[in-house]
Amino acid sequence: MADATVHIPPPRPADHQQNEMWVDEQIWGHRLWDSQSPWLLFLEFLSVAEAKHREGSLLDERGQLYPLQFWPNKRMSLRNLLFNNECMPRIAARVSDNAAAWTAWLKEIHETAQAVPSPDFSYLQKHFRDFHQLELVISLLRAAAIESDSNRRWTSRFAFPFGPAGIYEDLSVKGSGHPSREYINFTRSGELLYLMLCRAKTAAELRAPLARFLCSDHPWNKLLNILQPGEDMDRSRRDGSFLPWRTHDTFDKLGEDWLAVCNLRLPGFDAYPFLVTLSALHLSLYHLAVAADQCRCERPRFLCEIVAPRKTLVRELSTANFLENTQLPRRAIESLVADIEQSPEWVQSLSEPGAFSLCKAILLDRVRWPRDPEDYDGPEVPETLISALRTAALRRHRQHNANVHRSFGGGAGLVSRRGTNRLRYAPNDSLLKALVLANVRQRMEFGEFLKRLYDRYGFVFGEREAELVLGREDLDKRAFQANAERLERRLATLGMLRRLSDACGYVINPLWSVGTP
Amino acid sequence: MSITGANWIRFLRQHGPRPRNDTMYDEQIHRVARRLGVQPLNFDHPLEARLLSTFSPDVPTPISVVLTGTAGDGKTHLCGKVWQYLDGDRAAWDSDETYFTKPILVAGRPVTLHLIRDLTALPQSDEQGRYTSKESLLQRLSKSITAPDSSDVFLIAANDGFLLEAWNRAGEDPNAAFVRNLFEQLLVEDRAEEPGRPLLFLNLSRQPCAILFDLATNALINHPGWSACYQSVVTDGFFSEHCPIRRNLELLRDPVVLSRLRNLFELCDQSDLHIPIRRILLLLANAILGHPEVSDRLMQPGDIARLIASRTTSKASLYNNFFGGNLSETKRESLEIFEYLNRFRIGHETSNRIDNILIFGAADDALRPFFDRLVASDPYYGANDEFRAAQSAYVETSGEDDASPGAFLSTLVSQRRRLYFTIPEDMADQVRLWDLTIFQYAGEYLERVLGPLRQRRQVERAILSRLVKGLNRVFTGLLTTTDRDLLLATSLSYSGARVSQILDDRVPVSPRLHERIELTLQHDRPGLAVCLAQGVGRTLRLNLTRYEFLSRVAEGALPGSFSRECYEDILAFKSQVLAALAERRRSEPEPGPQALYLRLLDLDPVGNAVDQPVEVLNG
Repeated sequence: MADATVHIPPPRPADHQQNEMWVDEQIWGHRLWDSQSPWLLFLEFLSVAEAKHREGSLLDERGQLYPLQFWPNKRMSLRNLLFNNECMPRIAARVSDNAAAWTAWLKEIHETAQAVPSPDFSYLQKHFRDFHQLELVISLLRAAAIESDSNRRWTSRFAFPFGPAGIYEDLSVKGSGHPSREYINFTRSGELLYLMLCRAKTAAELRAPLARFLCSDHPWNKLLNILQPGEDMDRSRRDGSFLPWRTHDTFDKLGEDWLAVCNLRLPGFDAYPFLVTLSALHLSLYHLAVAADQCRCERPRFLCEIVAPRKTLVRELSTANFLENTQLPRRAIESLVADIEQSPEWVQSLSEPGAFSLCKAILLDRVRWPRDPEDYDGPEVPETLISALRTAALRRHRQHNANVHRSFGGGAGLVSRRGTNRLRYAPNDSLLKALVLANVRQRMEFGEFLKRLYDRYGFVFGEREAELVLGREDLDKRAFQANAERLERRLATLGMLRRLSDACGYVINPLWSVGTP
Repeated sequence: MSITGANWIRFLRQHGPRPRNDTMYDEQIHRVARRLGVQPLNFDHPLEARLLSTFSPDVPTPISVVLTGTAGDGKTHLCGKVWQYLDGDRAAWDSDETYFTKPILVAGRPVTLHLIRDLTALPQSDEQGRYTSKESLLQRLSKSITAPDSSDVFLIAANDGFLLEAWNRAGEDPNAAFVRNLFEQLLVEDRAEEPGRPLLFLNLSRQPCAILFDLATNALINHPGWSACYQSVVTDGFFSEHCPIRRNLELLRDPVVLSRLRNLFELCDQSDLHIPIRRILLLLANAILGHPEVSDRLMQPGDIARLIASRTTSKASLYNNFFGGNLSETKRESLEIFEYLNRFRIGHETSNRIDNILIFGAADDALRPFFDRLVASDPYYGANDEFRAAQSAYVETSGEDDASPGAFLSTLVSQRRRLYFTIPEDMADQVRLWDLTIFQYAGEYLERVLGPLRQRRQVERAILSRLVKGLNRVFTGLLTTTDRDLLLATSLSYSGARVSQILDDRVPVSPRLHERIELTLQHDRPGLAVCLAQGVGRTLRLNLTRYEFLSRVAEGALPGSFSRECYEDILAFKSQVLAALAERRRSEPEPGPQALYLRLLDLDPVGNAVDQPVEVLNG
């Protein structure tokens, strides 16, 4: 059962009227959904962080654990310039005279720009004398956009976050021209990520590095600033996200990994891809860890295969392992419902008169269901009622939350189908790099590195850890030894391993330098 | 008793690739040598003098020594030398004992020497009661290093991995933990001493194998055993004119063959591949005695008559044996020395020119002089009967017969290997010797880069320009021809992106103020140093693979094709140089806030990188 001092009571139901029930949310929070790519997750986080930094409370909840309220930027002028500006390259190609090009473009953008109160872009002429140079700069910035090859609507395209001038929230613009917020690209996982970092042990130490990322001194940020007509005052309040844990060991691990990467002081924004990967990984681990705790069973382990040219035993075990782990969240839902069914008050109510109404009241209190008559119209029998709850909860869970492990795990590079047709755990190069940067300071002996990955994340690569998970009898040591050797070779190709002799290898962090804390 | 030729060959066979248990190798060799009445191969290890001097009576303080490395580096052998130097008991050394103690006089005072000749074989408890447990012994050693004025001195030989592992298990002793960290640091940083600590840490794996090769080969080809062979000639048999063992020995004494083989060892050094002494001796023994159709694949005196009669002596080609061509594939792949040498792909790499000489040289007028000088001059391993027969069958066959191409092509491998070792120096450039290996620029690397740098001379400008061009192509992701400046390019978001079109800065190759680019030598390894300011710069270590990679990219290869590892290395180097640039900028005065200035890279029709400035006014 959740520790009362750590588990936070849910917010009042009126805040989340649209939720059919409050089951996934009590376990994982509101809300953890799939179908958000890791970069979008990170960008959502940045939109919250930037807003909070502006208020002066970066990574600091100041004791108020709910609600998370913030006023993110919209920056519609910039977004129109970058992503709703098809006329610009056309005019630049057709019209060679500078003044004529400016006139033509200003006229056309005035008509086609959306969701900007007064679409007058003539301020740009003060900074760019040459129209063609402006066009060059804008196409450069557009090329540097995040995931520029995806097919999203223009209001869901994101410039590279060079600083606060390039950070904004996801919006949609309907016919009326007013931007509105939908939660399909920014699905609130980024807000949960922000809350997790606030509650991690290393939150205080993370403030300085994050503030550096969010400072406006970077030349590209200044460039983005110049493209906009002054401070963006059009902001709306966003809130509603809820994270049900005051503290959690997965938050601490997330915070430690982030801090390790930030402390490397990588040039420019080189740290971002690693932070993105690690965030997706830790969200996936949080998802399973909380599920395992709810089921009161052991935390999950991950048998990882380093891809071999032929099918190996490790791959088969890993496939089975993945299937087993994906069942955990579903079992957590069932366990929650079972807990209600076995709770003293429910059992008590069964024997009292008006059992059904009492039981229904218990359910309304615990999971806010059934509220509408359509929710449940079966016989007024408690057993049927709770059975219906189970079915409805699982159905709802399957739509989004059940896929989080596959979705974020895949985004992090942990879960993949590479070389086969079934999903299993096969860490890719960018995940391996991120793990080395986050865990290895200057160097670490290879066996120690494997042990650390097992202790912190539950990853099994070599035979020692496999023995801990699978037991001695079933184990084919050679298969896991070969797996560990392949990992060594992979790390060596990435420039992150140094062999001294047959029995001695050191994982090295090539980006660590003597001044790193 | 004087040695006989047959006994010498029998002894030499012991060094070859035979199935054997590798522990206590040194002791076994000595036992066999005594039994056969043969003097074992002996040469002074380069570190022997330094080692022995640590135990001389007039050294200032008593120092403990750790000898580490991989199996076959000569650790036990050197321990034996020390034991002998200190007049240790010969009979005890010849036993199976692993741990020895002896009171000795060092730095004017008596101490106890504890000699462990193989830490792996040290028993957990001592029958003679000299120590209670392995852990207590290691703790005692740790104390002798951390506490001053100890009365114990140790000499331990252990493989590097096992050394650290053993200390890990030496219990909760704080001294042991300290010493373990010290060992690790010395191992990884490649140092032999720590100031203030009575410890000498010799890593025998760090010995350049080219030097060990010289010593081993010298000891082998000048061994008196060979004169005994010359005196025990059997007509049409052992050591007769057609005996392959004799032929191989005489070829091995050829300076060109030796120098080409030495080049390969030198290149292994430069690629950070270590070859222990035991394997060098294995290679040489296999080279002289190897033949695919005898027992253990190593010839014996009794085999020779049969081989001559059946006319299969050409299969004992020295040049093929160097690469383990006489061994089975599994055996070859299991021995790392053959695996390293086979990485050069000698025999499988070739050029049209060389193959034309081999295939058509006998008949073609233009190629005939080359053929005569390079191939026909050697009737045993060159243009021998087998070769001529296979060649004419290959050339004249209409192509319907499947069998003959295979046979000829496998002799071609052997011939190409022979050519690598025998092309005379004056023809090396003309025929392009190094096209026979996968490292086409290896010859240039040895002669025009490593050579001048070792003699403290400058490397030719043309080579430096080529390297800079290669770097520019990787840095920018464009097919640029710029070679006078190093282009430090980034993309907007990451420094490690494949195509980087924003120019951060140009660093000129010719010195200007404090900026310059030059080739340097550090710890006998060439490097490309980029200097941005006084004391601000980064160096790229140029091992053979990176040199080959950059040269190939400069000549048109795509960066992703030759080696992915190299490509990642070079991008990491770019990241470091950009970090150094940022460091330099921090110490420069801030430019005024007047304008934002970008330089976009593009290529002109010739391929020179031109930058297009974009200016943004800060109204």
